[in-house]
Amino acid sequence: MTSSSSAPAVDLDAFRTSVRDWCAAHVPADWRAAQTGVSDDEFVRFQQDWFQQLRAAGWAVPHWPKEWGGGMAPAEQVVLYQELAAADAPRLVLAFVSLHHAASTLLEAGTDEQRQRHLPAILDGEIWVQGFSEPDAGSDLASLKATARREGDVFIANGQKVWASGAMHADWCLLLARSDPSAPKRKGISYLLMDMRSPGLDVRPIKQATGESHFCEIFLNDVEIPAANLVGPENSGWQVAQATLSAERGMTMLELAERLGNAGFKWLVELCRQPGPDGTRPIDDGLVQDALAGFETEITGLRSLCTDLVDRHEAGTAGAADASIVKLYYSELLQRMMDFGALQAGLAGHAVLQKPISSGWESGAWVLDFLGSWEWTIPGGSSEIQRTIIGERGLGLPREPVAS
Amino acid sequence: MPPSSEFAEIHDELRSVGRDLLARSAQQHDVDWKLLASSGWLGLEVPEELDGAGATFAEVAVIIEEMGRAATGGAYLGTVVLGVGTLLAVAPAPDRDELLRAVANGATTVAVALPTGDDLASGDLPFRIENLGDGLRLVGRADFVPDAAQAERLLVVAAGLEGRPVVVEVPPGSAGLTIEDQPVLDATRRVASVVADEVVVGPAAWWSFAGDAEAAVRGLVDRASVAIALDSLGIAEAMVELTVEYAKVREQFARPIGSFQAVKHQCADMLVSTTVARQLVGQAIAALVEGPGGDAEASVAASRAKSYATEAAMDVVGKALQLHGGIGYTWESGIHVFFKRAALDRSLFGSPTAHRRRLAARYA
Repeated sequence: MTSSSSAPAVDLDAFRTSVRDWCAAHVPADWRAAQTGVSDDEFVRFQQDWFQQLRAAGWAVPHWPKEWGGGMAPAEQVVLYQELAAADAPRLVLAFVSLHHAASTLLEAGTDEQRQRHLPAILDGEIWVQGFSEPDAGSDLASLKATARREGDVFIANGQKVWASGAMHADWCLLLARSDPSAPKRKGISYLLMDMRSPGLDVRPIKQATGESHFCEIFLNDVEIPAANLVGPENSGWQVAQATLSAERGMTMLELAERLGNAGFKWLVELCRQPGPDGTRPIDDGLVQDALAGFETEITGLRSLCTDLVDRHEAGTAGAADASIVKLYYSELLQRMMDFGALQAGLAGHAVLQKPISSGWESGAWVLDFLGSWEWTIPGGSSEIQRTIIGERGLGLPREPVAS
Repeated sequence: MPPSSEFAEIHDELRSVGRDLLARSAQQHDVDWKLLASSGWLGLEVPEELDGAGATFAEVAVIIEEMGRAATGGAYLGTVVLGVGTLLAVAPAPDRDELLRAVANGATTVAVALPTGDDLASGDLPFRIENLGDGLRLVGRADFVPDAAQAERLLVVAAGLEGRPVVVEVPPGSAGLTIEDQPVLDATRRVASVVADEVVVGPAAWWSFAGDAEAAVRGLVDRASVAIALDSLGIAEAMVELTVEYAKVREQFARPIGSFQAVKHQCADMLVSTTVARQLVGQAIAALVEGPGGDAEASVAASRAKSYATEAAMDVVGKALQLHGGIGYTWESGIHVFFKRAALDRSLFGSPTAHRRRLAARYA
């Protein structure tokens, strides 16, 4: 009996009960209906309010270090996300970049001043956006063209960013821009913290396939960024971005897997129990039963994959392609499940014109959810990019020859 | 439960020794039984006082997976997976103990006539004991019983006089008993039909299951299902490795075929489904080891593992064959061996559809 895993520091069952009780008291019973078709302002207010409630409970930033308000053991975080999903609590969608990408960037590579300036502010509701992608730099992000020209104590930024989720609500931006145009493409990029109130910035929402507008274009026209806002060494922004993206320990995917396994699957079964116009129930069809049991099986596999990845991050044994395997599998499983939901919802599904915001990627508005699932198979490294990473870093297959 | 890291070490060692040993007898019909006995793999779960190792199914699982990886032939499925599993599920008795000891020592081989098909829900058994007035008789028929024609000892799971399942040992030469080899495409496994036409059974000449007999039978079928899922997991792992190695060295259009995305991405998919299968199989093993035989959670986990892992393995072997190109379709490449074994795995002890039907029964 030498393993530390046999002696958990906290009583997980007691913690689970406390989260469950808290959720029963705090999760607004009708939030999905109330958050369907609301204005942007109401969405922001609802998200900020929910964030502060979680913060008061001590659960807003469990993954941060203790000195910054976090310090929860991974095993407890797993329980927290399982219970929030089981209670169908709203998700922290507005603060997602702030809590994860911005925080991990500041913690991994930021200066003390940058951390002092921003981490407490994030807890008070400071919203961040990621300014990485560009019209000509999607999957091939390193070919980005936006510039940040050093002039004494400032960088002067120019160019265009795209797919910046939530930019219209953001206070700050994680910006990747080219500071040395003559260097090889991965060696001339700098990582900057950009105040979204800076003169010269123009934010334009993009209307998406679903009709929503979470994503924005950001136009930069001689935007001044103090050199003190540089993260990591000048021209090492690509390396900083790689390091901070990989700082994600699998917990965000675990949360999404739990959502899919709770609300997502339960609603799918519920949907299949509803009699159609002819009075028959889809669930009485053997093919429908077979598909549902298949989804149940795959979700179980996904959830197990996620907890296993969190464990292996803790143990330091996570593989180079493990995060890609989880992201790819989640994205495509989500898409297949939402496709099935859209099919089972039938014609009535097409009359559901809006979905609740603040929800997971399975909202019960099946046709919109099906369409929205491409928001998982395309961004954050498309499924094709993930397969290439799995093949090359996971299996050691040779790289594609570079086009001359 | 002992800490998992301690087990992980034991399992790694077992796996390493197993892989090495099985590689030397890979794809032979009969793995060296004496070697298996001296390695201690036959009696892993047998109590120490009966010359076993007193370990659990989690350790047996390591060997089963490695046997799938090497497409090992021989009677491990009949003797250890089904035989030891059945003997451990019945109430201890001197003759039972002696048989367990003989298995652990490699002195004998066992087959168990259990339902091998898609009826997972009814609990109906293919054999029953009848009282014909002048004595008790065993009647019934089972097909595709693993290792039945070669095993020295035959156990039959039958409905007893009051319908409660019991285990009857029937000597292979008994009057009225017909065991016929059923040739199948998978050359690494042997299955047979077992027909009992009024075979004489002595009064009370059977073993009763310890505890709930129906649950115990369900537990045996679950155990068989998980073992087959493990075998398929091993097959999938072997095929991913073989294909990746080939894709790294086989060149066409002046570059390794593994550098083409059309090939690379299929290899990635093979790895993903194998990885998911490993998670589901791991959960099913844990449920079998932790819970009492035949409990609902273990059955659910077994059905998930069996349906997913066997389908995944079939898909992975198909991709392996495709990505090897013409050479993959030759007898010599050996991929057909894994293909046929994976296909038999998929059908044996409940098809994926049958297992999903059992899962879906919980939704109504």
